[in-house]
Amino acid sequence: MFKYDVYINSLADLPEEKEIKLSVRDLTPGKQRYAYKHVMAKVSADADKYPDKLQVRFGRGQIHSQPYSIQVMKEVSIIPERWL
Amino acid sequence: MFIDNREYIKALDAAGELVTINQEVDWDLEAGAIVRKVCEEKGPSPLMNKIKDYPGHRYFGAPLASYRKLAISLGLPPESSIPEIAAVYLERTNKEPVKPVLVDKSKAPCKENIFIGDKADMLELLPAPMVHEGDGGRYLSTWHFIVTKDPDNGDVNWGMYRQMVYDGKTMTGNLLPFSDGGKVFHGKYKPAGKAMPFATVIGPDPISAIAASAPAPMPETDFAGMLMGKPIELVKCETVDLEVPAHAEIIIEGEILPDVSLEEGPFGEYTGYRTSPRDFRQVYRVKAITFRNDPITTISNMGVPTDEGQLLRSFSLGLEMDKLLRSQGIPITGVYMMPESTHHLVIVGVKPIYTNIAAQIAQTVFGSKLGPWFHMVVVVDDKCDIYNFNEVLHALTTKCHPINGIHIWQGVGTPLYPFLSAAERTNSVGPKVLFDCTFPLNWDPMSEVPSLVSFKTVYPKEIQEKVLANWKNYGFKS
Repeated sequence: MFKYDVYINSLADLPEEKEIKLSVRDLTPGKQRYAYKHVMAKVSADADKYPDKLQVRFGRGQIHSQPYSIQVMKEVSIIPERWL
Repeated sequence: MFIDNREYIKALDAAGELVTINQEVDWDLEAGAIVRKVCEEKGPSPLMNKIKDYPGHRYFGAPLASYRKLAISLGLPPESSIPEIAAVYLERTNKEPVKPVLVDKSKAPCKENIFIGDKADMLELLPAPMVHEGDGGRYLSTWHFIVTKDPDNGDVNWGMYRQMVYDGKTMTGNLLPFSDGGKVFHGKYKPAGKAMPFATVIGPDPISAIAASAPAPMPETDFAGMLMGKPIELVKCETVDLEVPAHAEIIIEGEILPDVSLEEGPFGEYTGYRTSPRDFRQVYRVKAITFRNDPITTISNMGVPTDEGQLLRSFSLGLEMDKLLRSQGIPITGVYMMPESTHHLVIVGVKPIYTNIAAQIAQTVFGSKLGPWFHMVVVVDDKCDIYNFNEVLHALTTKCHPINGIHIWQGVGTPLYPFLSAAERTNSVGPKVLFDCTFPLNWDPMSEVPSLVSFKTVYPKEIQEKVLANWKNYGFKS
């Protein structure tokens, strides 16, 4: 099980149970902790619905009390090829 | 003067301003918490010799977060007073600029380890700290500067603009459009669709860091040379057409992308708040990383006073305003910006020889390139000691007329002001206020101006001398 977090401005940015594009941070302990990934994923306010955990934070870092779950469908590229 | 942080660390240790920590410290919040507590207690700088996950790396926290450390960095006795430190700064920076010199790579310690291309992975190579809980990421660049160059005239800029590690090859940051580096990026590179080369210098010598945090009226390379009293030694970068201090600890080279933005922040900021929310900001792509053996990453922890950003920005902003006002022929006695105000409040002493001189002072400094960084000006007369908070507060609360003495303007401000609305932040709006703490000049000094009642002003000189001479005889200890 992986654990991620995501920053949002409001819960409207996090529609449930539909495939959405998100920037999430990988919270796995170690050197890569807090690295960003752009993913296509489904999320739910039911903490047990999807296989991985998702912690929700608001714009200035405040943690939302409701734990979410997430299913990452795939990672997507964020930097255009010409800059890689 | 110290050629690098390692010499400076030894001097801090000799002065009792260093604590060496040999037990393992976690880069994830623990190191940040140590530095934060040091800042809030104005304590000695911590040198952390063992960092979790990153053997061989070290941290140096709160490198310049007190006037004692600032004095040491300038080669002065630690107990030097603020006016004494200011006098040395002004004396050195009013001389001719001192151009840097280029040294060979073999004489540049920052080239002891070189990683280029895919091997230049920040997360694998460098212990970027998670400074505050809730920050948007690991901020590798908190006490550092970013080197950029104007593509038209070749002017070099060193600017302290924060950088968050996004992934191993990418950083994001807030390159404010009114900053010197921001003007070149937003005004030249971005419109042309060109990437702007950058080099981030982490762990520079203390003088170069002071120069980078100052609103220098010239390339910071030359300004640092003036403060140092000799040329700064630079070395060419590996992958970009820039030069960096040869004795710095860590160099990150790359490009700022003109047409891509990614999330950055939030971050605990110099105002003592996480003010600017997460947003899409500039993207730095990394091409190379070089560093010294056993590299020392510097950490500044922004938050409630006092951190080095607050202290040094206050110090240098105030003294650059001093130069500006004197250059305009305004008869000031001095300028002092209080670090505890997070460089938002500036105190100007003046000999009030004509009416409304306080408004001229405020308009001059608010309208300068320094103006976006502060919003309160307190003008006191030449009888008030601008460095004495008690005297300034007394003047503010007794001489500033609530209706006639407070003037407000709408100016340009930083979006980091905590009191701004979202719309004001977006539009660079920065309200300004002047507190004129001088009595009106048309008041008759013999019959209308209130007399200050203090030991120094209401007793004859012979009585003062008698009391002072007998002070211990009366039974007082000091």
